Amino acid sequence: MGRIDRHLVAMSETDQIAYLSETVYQERLRFERDGDDATVKERERIDGLARALTEGPEAMRTATARLVRAYSHEVHNRFSERTFGAAMRLAPAAIKGLLSPSEAGGWAWPKWDGPERVVIQGPVGQLQALAKTHTLVFAPTHLSNLDSPLIGYALHLAGLPPCTYGAGLNLFSSPIMGFLMSRLGAYTVDRRKRHRLYKDVLKAYSTELIGRGAHSLFYPGGTRSRSGALEAQVKRGLLGTAVAAWQEGLLEGRDEPEILIVPVTLSCSLVLEAETLIEDALAAAGKSRYIISDDEFSEPKTVLRYVRQLLEMDASVVVRFGSPLDVLGNPVDETGQSVDGSGRPFDRRLYVCDRELGVRSDPQRDRVYTNHLADAICSAYRRDSVVLPTHLAALAGWTLLGSRYPTLDTYGRALLPPSDRWVDRGDLVSAIARGAEAVDAHVRAGETQALLPTGENRAETILTQAVETFSAFHSRRALEFEDWRVLVDPKLTLYYGNRLSSLLGPEELV
Amino acid sequence: MNVGIIGGGAWGCALATLVAGAGHLARIGTRGARPKGFASTPNLDALARESDLLIMAVPSDSAAEAVDAVRPDAGSMVLFAGRGMNTRDGGWMSDYLMAQTPCRRVGALAGPALASEVVAGRPTALLVASPYDEVCRATQAALHSEHCRLYTSTDLRGVELAGAMVRALAVAVGIADGLDYGIGARGVIITRGIAEATRLGTAIGGDPKTFSGLAGIGDLVSCATSPQHPSHVAGVALARGGSISSRLIAEMRALVALGESEGVDLPLTHAALAIAAGEDRPRLVFDGLMRRAARPE
Repeated sequence: MGRIDRHLVAMSETDQIAYLSETVYQERLRFERDGDDATVKERERIDGLARALTEGPEAMRTATARLVRAYSHEVHNRFSERTFGAAMRLAPAAIKGLLSPSEAGGWAWPKWDGPERVVIQGPVGQLQALAKTHTLVFAPTHLSNLDSPLIGYALHLAGLPPCTYGAGLNLFSSPIMGFLMSRLGAYTVDRRKRHRLYKDVLKAYSTELIGRGAHSLFYPGGTRSRSGALEAQVKRGLLGTAVAAWQEGLLEGRDEPEILIVPVTLSCSLVLEAETLIEDALAAAGKSRYIISDDEFSEPKTVLRYVRQLLEMDASVVVRFGSPLDVLGNPVDETGQSVDGSGRPFDRRLYVCDRELGVRSDPQRDRVYTNHLADAICSAYRRDSVVLPTHLAALAGWTLLGSRYPTLDTYGRALLPPSDRWVDRGDLVSAIARGAEAVDAHVRAGETQALLPTGENRAETILTQAVETFSAFHSRRALEFEDWRVLVDPKLTLYYGNRLSSLLGPEELV
Repeated sequence: MNVGIIGGGAWGCALATLVAGAGHLARIGTRGARPKGFASTPNLDALARESDLLIMAVPSDSAAEAVDAVRPDAGSMVLFAGRGMNTRDGGWMSDYLMAQTPCRRVGALAGPALASEVVAGRPTALLVASPYDEVCRATQAALHSEHCRLYTSTDLRGVELAGAMVRALAVAVGIADGLDYGIGARGVIITRGIAEATRLGTAIGGDPKTFSGLAGIGDLVSCATSPQHPSHVAGVALARGGSISSRLIAEMRALVALGESEGVDLPLTHAALAIAAGEDRPRLVFDGLMRRAARPE
């Protein structure tokens, strides 16, 4: 409550009333939407706050404190120091156990050799060392609800400590994920609560966790990428808690308040929810459908089939840890010291302190600092994203469809009738060859990473690998051979090709 | 407040006068001739550390060099007071500063104030633009006085662009004046020039209102109608067969390239560049502008 209280005290009474009125309004809207899901106590607390708005500052403060306590309890509910401590010890065993045949309830699992399937890249040694002296905040790209356990496992493979993270309340409804997440340091985020007070409680909770030295994770994109594209912009809310926690540490004179941000790029050959996500991206209502509760993730059998197929493929998932950044997005050296663009180390405390090293609070300044961090994370995503055969082949297929039907816009192309969804196989191979050369050039320029086959008949190999991968899971095939032509599923190729949308233009393929 | 001013030229001295007038301590940092009547130092590094606000009052072609010499740190607040782009790479000075140093709190100072009028104590106004309220507040405190009103904006990129466009457009007005096209032509170039600056500014994420404010039309009217302003003088010289500095030409090229990359048509800037680069004769270029297809405003 301390942080929220300070936040409220800093407001004028008019702003306080507006802030709390929004809470009442949004919560009552939610009660109407969710019906019986809202408990009597929840309704009472909001009614109490509504009454307090007319009774003066003291009543507002009391009612707010009651609400904040309830939200804090709910957020904290599934996370405890004890749970987190257990996660530190049990994470690897929990994941392996969950993925073993006996736990899978009779499913025939392939022989487990995870490390070859999940490729870990990046400055792992440096991160291992820094994790002992600094609090790390991992900031991954987000494609699938399976990203959190994947990162949990990647952290284990990389020899990095587990971390806490906020997980949507809906994710706990899946028994598998509920089990995993509650044991991997997940705390609860109810995305149905859209008012500022709840978001401020979440930020305060995250600030507290980071400040206490808990390695943390949040998805700066906020939600899974609907289009399949790499996050070009990220949300500032939770990222800002890193700056806040660092500053609080300095203010309180803590010994080790130093916090570093680690961008993490997940590149997957297949994405469990691809079919639903791209439908959502294309739908007019997509933007407002923030929480999807009826996608592939809600079907345990589909999840298991997906994981199984993924584990049968080599290098199907690449988790690339980026170079660590300070809380303003500057690079750091081996010891965690910030360095400028010329590689010279500097004292980052001066960002928030005066020359005598007294901390000077300025929330507006910190918001702009967080913008710098957000920009640095997006740059790291572009640099560290790994091009895989499915991405390139899908983009080539989607682009060639565009060449065949130049008058159609994205939606027209996505809705092509099945009889028109094909491209010449030779043309597709040529487009992939050109695309692969362009990707190579971007890799040489340090603008991206790639894990593409090399050698003779490279483009044909890329296409064959992609077609085999696509045939492994989705109910529809993104690309499928048929004699001299290749059948193209427009929506799925759009989804997987979008991964490269910020890297390759159509002119680099066709 | 301690204000460090890098650059001992006319504009640096004028700003030091404003700072003193606002009741603060101004020190000029320069490795060249020390200006008379002002506190100054050649130790730029120390000046940067000891200043609450650092104003880079140097021409745009020297600004990158000044940044390299001063090396502001994470605690510095830096303001660029010279119009124009970074002639080293055609980028923005604020970007250069942030790429080369840890400094993040950066702003730009712009507006119609002329050095000679500031020193004479004539009424004028300036605009400080920075995403940081702290930089805007410090600049207001350092420069606002009964002689100079200081306005604030958050549109740093727009103000940086406005400064560069004003110089190019002042050259265009100077050419028209040199050709004796009259007051009407001057009005046309100023108005249409601001229109193209606004188009480009909007394309790069600036606020269109910036270009109708002090940093845009205010500054352009001041520069383009002052017979002593260097850009205007350069334009007049061009019209009469003379040449202008390679720095101005490089800056106009950078603006035209930016327009092309953003898909924004910049006919006046393009015309001024064609004349400045000796690609075409002034009258022919202006004739070409007048023969462009008729269109709504």
